Amino acid sequence: MSRETPQDRQGAAAAPPVNPIRLHRELAALWDTPAGWQQLGAVNHTILGKRFILAAFFFFGVGGLLAMLIRVQLATSGTAFVGPEIYGQLFTMHGTVMMFLFAIPMFEGFAIYLLPKLLGARDLAFPRLTAYGFWCYIFGASILLCAMIAGVAPDSGWFMYTPLSSSTYTPGINADVWLLGITFVEISALSAAVEITVSVLKVRAPGMSLARMPIMAWYLLITALMMLFGFPPLILGSILLELERAADLPFFDPTRGGDSLLWQHLFWLFGHPEVYIIFLPAAGAISMMIPTFARHELVGYRAVIVAVIAMAFLSFGLWVHHMFTVGIPHLALAFFSAASGLVAIPTAVQIFAWIATLAAGRPRFDVPMLYLGGFFFIFVVGGLTGVMLAMVPFNWQAHDTHFVVAHLHYVLVGGFVFPMMAATYYWLPHFTGRLAEHRVSKPAFWLIFLGFNLTFFHMHLTGLRGMPRRIDTYPVEARLDWLNLLSSVGSFVMTIGFALFVVDLVVHMRFGRRFRRNPWAARTLEWAMPTPTTSYAFASLPHIEERGDRLAPDAEGARLAAGRGYLGFTRNGWMETLGVDMVGGRPDQLIVLPRQTFLPLWSGLLTAAMVLCLLAKIYWLALFAFLAVVVSLLAWTGATGARQDMGALPIGNGASARPHWETEAPPSWWAMVMTCAAEATLFSSLLFGGLFLWLVAPQWPPARPALPDPLLAGACAVLLVLAAFAGRGGLAALLQQRSPALRLGVCAGAHGGAALLFALMAASVPVPTAHAHNATALVLLSLCGLRAGFGALLAAYGLWRWHAGFLSAARSLDLRIGRVWHDYAAATGLIGISAAFVFAWLATTGGTGS
Amino acid sequence: MRPRSLLLLGAGFTVWAMAFVALYAMLSVGCRFGWDDTALDMAGGLSLQRLQLIAIFLVHLAAGAAVVMLLRRRRGEGFLYPLAYFAAIAALGASVFSFAGVFFLSACQ
Repeated sequence: MSRETPQDRQGAAAAPPVNPIRLHRELAALWDTPAGWQQLGAVNHTILGKRFILAAFFFFGVGGLLAMLIRVQLATSGTAFVGPEIYGQLFTMHGTVMMFLFAIPMFEGFAIYLLPKLLGARDLAFPRLTAYGFWCYIFGASILLCAMIAGVAPDSGWFMYTPLSSSTYTPGINADVWLLGITFVEISALSAAVEITVSVLKVRAPGMSLARMPIMAWYLLITALMMLFGFPPLILGSILLELERAADLPFFDPTRGGDSLLWQHLFWLFGHPEVYIIFLPAAGAISMMIPTFARHELVGYRAVIVAVIAMAFLSFGLWVHHMFTVGIPHLALAFFSAASGLVAIPTAVQIFAWIATLAAGRPRFDVPMLYLGGFFFIFVVGGLTGVMLAMVPFNWQAHDTHFVVAHLHYVLVGGFVFPMMAATYYWLPHFTGRLAEHRVSKPAFWLIFLGFNLTFFHMHLTGLRGMPRRIDTYPVEARLDWLNLLSSVGSFVMTIGFALFVVDLVVHMRFGRRFRRNPWAARTLEWAMPTPTTSYAFASLPHIEERGDRLAPDAEGARLAAGRGYLGFTRNGWMETLGVDMVGGRPDQLIVLPRQTFLPLWSGLLTAAMVLCLLAKIYWLALFAFLAVVVSLLAWTGATGARQDMGALPIGNGASARPHWETEAPPSWWAMVMTCAAEATLFSSLLFGGLFLWLVAPQWPPARPALPDPLLAGACAVLLVLAAFAGRGGLAALLQQRSPALRLGVCAGAHGGAALLFALMAASVPVPTAHAHNATALVLLSLCGLRAGFGALLAAYGLWRWHAGFLSAARSLDLRIGRVWHDYAAATGLIGISAAFVFAWLATTGGTGS
Repeated sequence: MRPRSLLLLGAGFTVWAMAFVALYAMLSVGCRFGWDDTALDMAGGLSLQRLQLIAIFLVHLAAGAAVVMLLRRRRGEGFLYPLAYFAAIAALGASVFSFAGVFFLSACQ
């Protein structure tokens, strides 16, 4: 990276010298978020990353407090500290808060803060989406927190198993809070997944090919892809369960053709990949820290990438190991057991790569390494008990006991909390510009480490002695008092350690010594900038000629601050960064990012209003709120694009690139592709659900199968195909410099017509509350109708953009994004219609009977 | 190298995932319709259930092997091909380890 490139020389010869102070002022004027209320309109990744991290840490405290209450209750036999109702809320909220409000947002925060800095970019691809995701997280989490304070928190366990969470056994609002609140928070997770995936693939420094990406970027890319495919099954499950509770659609009711196991499948299809979604970013952070402290680049860079890919896939093939006792055939258990054992191999590849890096280098010890030592010990223990639990006979013995509680805490605390604490110490100087004394760090570590093992090691023993999970008390005859008391004492020791950790951070921020740059002598790009970082991250963008962990940040930082890289200037009041060719890293577009705005906040507030209306069961108002959300999201587009062609613009160093709206595949096009992939996963999960119920659920066949009207279905199919062709035709006309208006009008009309026909078919489903088959048909057709409706909206939007002058042969992005959706809606609509007929046919051929 | 080449990284494991879905789904269908109780004389007394599961397994094994062979030719090219090649080998091994039970484990108990 530090070598001078031909473009450098050309640029240096052509460009006038830049005054770094003036450049800083010009960039800061554009990128800084004004103080006061304007801070609520922040879209900057540094600000939002910090906010995510702080909020997640707050919820870690909330989850920890709940854990303390649980340990007080279980400290001795027969405790009357809280009753079973409150205890149910405590352990449900503890799991929910730690998984959904701490772990995922914490990783998102780290990713949002670090990713552009690691990739040599000024921001992520969609800053407003980051802000919207943050508000969805905060508002969704607030709903859960308020419910807890009001005493109506969810109480069916963090996995909300039916029928316990169904309206028969949980008639209050408790389960609705979980289903709606968590789905709300998951909007945040999915938006982060799209954001991270597209940013890693497209928004990098010139020259940073895939082969030169820092290893953390690979980890985050694969994790984000896992989120894209892992979260939709849970979102679908949550929607179906909420529909069952609100509208009596019996997806999980075995007396009407539903099955509780469908919920378990949908939940764990998300839930097990979730474990790796939490672990992999932490493993990425470890892969960044160990080379720095070993003073040696990561050994087995390529092997680690292959291992992470293998882990990502395998993690989707072991969800049933949470369901080994539900009566699945032995052969199927063997598939899942084998996959569960196999996943230890890619995990081991990474652990050996880290050990090899330490062995090959000249390790130096510092506080982050202490916490990484804790990680190694605890995570390996958790991994070993994981292999034990992957074996079916042992799993049957230990299922739903405290052994499983011990295992999951060893894996999650070992695999996420300890690495994240190491990462906090490692990157805190980057956040604050200060170096810590670390006087409190070591006692904090030992208290947490010893307290953790004292708490959870004994749970292996109580579990093996038969203590079930989720019980609020146990009899003295069970002889579990001493082990539980030790666990409770350990939890308090651990809490003291965490309190010291917080004190240490405060001391660091208040009294730490200031430093100039790169205190750990790291060789990655995030240290090639002033600390605490500026809002624009890089005054100019580097040209990368080495792998991302072989750079020289000290020398490069000064060069970039002097404006000697790409985009070392400002123009048009634009916030600019560069987009690159996905594989090779050649700069292929100038990405103009949106300025600070309150729109994401408004969209978040309106989404919150919609969720609250659903929670209060005021459905007509929820519909209005939904429409308001759509309008507010459309309002985002007002600031994008241009009304005239610009052609290639200089980007510095003698190079030029077109603005992103004039290019073939800008980030927003890829975002639509990723969105379709996520939606396709949700749709596939619904198809799986329909087939699963037919195959497994009792009380089949239904009395009146839901057979769509063939005439309506045929007309609908024709309209969908017409919409897709008209969308393509509109784009073709635009590219030939003709008006796309007529074709776009046809596209919008055809989509609208298809949506109407889907609505008619859905309305004609006989008594959806009578049987799960009918309920599934209703949801299937409604989903296809929604997709067609969105297609009509996109086509109409294209029409408006044409009339407003935003489209030309060179500026066809809006229509190309639309085309992706039109094709997708047509393809999935046709599949949906076919599936409706297949389901009806299957329903008439019988099922498992009663 | 085109963006599409990125998909090669997951090619081997996609075959593994397809095998997983096909085997799990068809195992359930076979158990539901009693194929385990249908012995086929022409297949040496094997049940219809085991036969179809073995067939699915072998088809996917062949597909996984084909992916490995295709990538083997280009394993020296650039950055992505060798990664895709080794991932495909890992996936093939995972397929054998995960699904070999179709030959000898009881199918519907």
